[in-house]
Amino acid sequence: MLKRDKKEEEEAGGNPFFNLEKTSVLQEARTFNDTPINPRKCCHILTKILYLLNQGEHIGTTEATETFFAMTKLFQSKDTTLRRMCYMVIKEMATISDDVIIVTSSLTKDMTGKEDQFRGPAIRALTKITDTTMLQSIERYMKQAIVDKNASVSSAALTSSLHLMKTSHDVIKRWVNEAQEAVSSSDIMVQYHALGLLYHIRKNDKLAVTKLVSKFTRHSLKSPYAYCLLIRIACKLLEEDDAGSDSPMFDFIESCLRHKSEMVIYEAAHAIVNMKHTGTKELAPAVSVLQLFLGSPKPTLRFAAVRTLNKVAMKHPSAVTACNLDLENLITDVNRSIATLAITTLLKTGSESSVDRLMKQISSFMSEISDEFKIVVVEAIKSLCMKFPRKHGVMMTFLSSMLREEGGFDYKKAIVDTIISIVEENPEAKEAGLAHLCEFIEDCEHTVLATRILHLLGREGPRTLNPAKYIRFIYNRVILENAAVRAAAVTALAKFGAHCQNLLPSIIVLLERSELDMDDEVRDRATLYLNILKEHQMALNSAFILNGLQVSIVGLERALHSYYQEPSETSFDMKSVPLATQPLTEQKASAPGEISGAKSSEKVAASRQDVYAEQLSSIPEFASIGPLFKSSSLPVELTEAETEYAVQCIKHTFANHIVLQFDCTNTLNDQFLEDVTVQVETNDGFEVLKYIPTPKLAYNVTSTTYTLLQLPEEPSQVTGTFTCTMKFVVKDCDPNTGEPDDEGYEDEYVLEDLEIAVGDHVQKVMKPNFGASWDEIGPENELEDTYALSNMKSLDEAIKNIKDYLGMQPCERSDKVPEGKSSHTLYLAGVYRGGHDILARAKLAMGDGVTMQITVRSTDPHASEVIASAVG
Amino acid sequence: MGFLDGLAKWLGLKKKEANVLVVGLDNSGKTTIINHLKPEETKSHDIVPTIGFNVEKFQTKSLQFTAFDMSGQGRYRNLWEHYYKSCNGIIFVIDSSDKLRIVVAKDELDTLLDHVDIRSRPIPILFFANKMDIRDALSSVKCSTMMRLEQIMNKPWHICATNALTGEGLTEGTDWLADQLKILLGAKK
Repeated sequence: MLKRDKKEEEEAGGNPFFNLEKTSVLQEARTFNDTPINPRKCCHILTKILYLLNQGEHIGTTEATETFFAMTKLFQSKDTTLRRMCYMVIKEMATISDDVIIVTSSLTKDMTGKEDQFRGPAIRALTKITDTTMLQSIERYMKQAIVDKNASVSSAALTSSLHLMKTSHDVIKRWVNEAQEAVSSSDIMVQYHALGLLYHIRKNDKLAVTKLVSKFTRHSLKSPYAYCLLIRIACKLLEEDDAGSDSPMFDFIESCLRHKSEMVIYEAAHAIVNMKHTGTKELAPAVSVLQLFLGSPKPTLRFAAVRTLNKVAMKHPSAVTACNLDLENLITDVNRSIATLAITTLLKTGSESSVDRLMKQISSFMSEISDEFKIVVVEAIKSLCMKFPRKHGVMMTFLSSMLREEGGFDYKKAIVDTIISIVEENPEAKEAGLAHLCEFIEDCEHTVLATRILHLLGREGPRTLNPAKYIRFIYNRVILENAAVRAAAVTALAKFGAHCQNLLPSIIVLLERSELDMDDEVRDRATLYLNILKEHQMALNSAFILNGLQVSIVGLERALHSYYQEPSETSFDMKSVPLATQPLTEQKASAPGEISGAKSSEKVAASRQDVYAEQLSSIPEFASIGPLFKSSSLPVELTEAETEYAVQCIKHTFANHIVLQFDCTNTLNDQFLEDVTVQVETNDGFEVLKYIPTPKLAYNVTSTTYTLLQLPEEPSQVTGTFTCTMKFVVKDCDPNTGEPDDEGYEDEYVLEDLEIAVGDHVQKVMKPNFGASWDEIGPENELEDTYALSNMKSLDEAIKNIKDYLGMQPCERSDKVPEGKSSHTLYLAGVYRGGHDILARAKLAMGDGVTMQITVRSTDPHASEVIASAVG
Repeated sequence: MGFLDGLAKWLGLKKKEANVLVVGLDNSGKTTIINHLKPEETKSHDIVPTIGFNVEKFQTKSLQFTAFDMSGQGRYRNLWEHYYKSCNGIIFVIDSSDKLRIVVAKDELDTLLDHVDIRSRPIPILFFANKMDIRDALSSVKCSTMMRLEQIMNKPWHICATNALTGEGLTEGTDWLADQLKILLGAKK
């Protein structure tokens, strides 16, 4: 803080505009009205106004308009500097002042005038003040300017057109001929800008873009900038078409690797490397070009090349191996950014033996590089740990030494993330990792990281060989830290108490001290945990301390709100709250580059069920069947692709009913469907209670029809196969207008069969502590059975099938089989329809096929029966 | 430079400067008039409807004019008032062949004369009854009655019939205005 103050003082010394007062500057602006005009003085005032605007000073509309109109009087001066200053201010004030169109004629005069210095800037200022309605009146001048002989005028007009495109696409579209002419200009910038404009005009028409690219790939362009743009356009086309290396576009990009400009070569190589479908064959020439750049005397080229190779190394490590020798040379590069990237690339491609050497090298200058690059290093180490789990010792020491150094939040977070993921993936590294993290939270200024680590300690700590040693670190937090961290620490302590009987008395003593905490949250938590722990009941411990709340937060909020609206005598039932859909985070073994994409889709998936619940509750017919228990995650397609009608089915499970939601799409543009229902038939004891038709189904619109099923009386009868038929009234209609005829006829369309499986009755639930939950339910409704799964080739395959079929959540990472094992135990947890907890332990052994011994415990005997017999 | 300027002014060699505002309805010929008054080499050949305003400079025998040629289109007329304060004289152009809209012109004139920046100042107003070459154009006398010019009491005013295409009548008007302004600027000193 002190440092910054000092810096500001220094800056103020050199800045003549420091401490400018807005009102006094605007007062000064009245000088603009004087005659004759003093250009130097006015320029100085304009500079002050610009400075204020750029500092984010807010100028009100009235003040701004007054100043703006005063400034327009400066147009009588012929002074070039003053006039160009005016253009600058016009551009800045275009949005904050009223009636800026007042300068339109003056600007058009300047842009068509003789003074070349005025023409380009006038065009740019003009486009800032013009809206769609005014554009018509200046269209003629803009067209002339685009084809002007003067390159700066032409470029200004072209770039301005690109800006105008956002608001008035239709007008700019008419300038195609002028842009076409400008592409053949001999100036490299004009050519580039013209190509850009042409592309943006045609952007929405894929055929036209294809033509554009193929035309200009044949006539060679002069401008390297235009070439780069062309490569980008070609890439986008390739991506949209999903085309491979046989496309002419690809040939063009490949040929650019032999262009004489370095910029174009790099762009082409970068493009090839980033394509989705590149194989080793296509990659080779691009990588060899980049390899050449590695030896370039220009640091920018070296940097670009090594950065690109670093990215390639994530996807195709083998392709980069060829460059290893050149990369080794860059380790000692004077530019630290280049050196860092070179080392991290080597870490990704190198063998296990070189790891130690590279780590030593990188730690020698770790303190000299910026946070941003430190994160790159951390990420490289992370992927290295996945690749060589045996090297975790070296990595851990390195990471912990990095943790001790100075660094921003993002940097620390990256390290903590890495350590946590190593701890979770690699059981051998657990003790060491936890020890490093403990040390870190002793001096951690980031609340978010501290709470996260405390949560991890609470989960993993009690199960280590010597849990007692973590208590000291956690209790230190209770004494020293802020409220949020204290609360997290109390929870972690309680978990130790619940899990380790021998530590319980000491934990109780520690928790009692927190009962007098200043913060409500901390006190409440301590009191709750103390009372539970003093009961000495495993079931309570498991339900309230070791395994948290499993409900959907949105669902809980809604349920509590409706309970609050209509208070009743009975107490609130937690079982009526929909469970949280377990997001699919556990299977994130995907490439690191794809993680960001996967995460956003998870968020959607997590709240999807809440959306369905909302939709279904708005249909009066479904009001009586209770709260939604589960919706099937992926829609089932009941039609082949590209048939007349497309139908998808989503199954919603309720306590005693199932609602089938059919999303129907009509792909025939000459038909209009009415009164659409999907009829289902079955022999499995299900009874159809109601069809809710969709009244109208127009072309290319998706509408929904529902079918309500009553589950069979017999509680163990839960699966069934249904034959589905879509029934509807067809009316022919005019494909252009969509107007249907009055007369229609009934028709039907046979859909594929639909299955209701065991998985539809079970909701996934994560039990962080499976053992505790297993003991909590007890052996009362235990069932055991042994099956031979003869058609399974491996344990992994068997686990995946069991998991999908039962629809339960694997716990404690038991879905991952350690390599080389021939037997494995899978722990599954779920909640059965009606809110009964259900746990399954499947012991798998690999022999001739896979043999499975499954043990099921549940709070409901029928549920156990259904699950135990489901696999058969 | 500054010294030389001052010297020239003192000797009466350098001409005095004046700002005039050129207003009137759209298509009355404001830009054409200014174009005709400009020096030969800066004249432009095609005249298009003005949007906003244009600044032009021209001179008569004794005075250097800076003319703010305003747009006459309906929606821009309210922008005129921004320039009232700083002008020394006003040129109001009337299309004498457009009898229908002469009342509109009268309306605009009344608004102008009633504006707070104009009302109390004795600034000269020059009226051009333009387009006198058109056959059934109103005479300057007829114009002045229809515009009720006789009611302007506190300002010197003058009307002359003009043809902006040939330049007929323009010099008579600008000479009058120059004389008036010289008196006014002289009195200020």
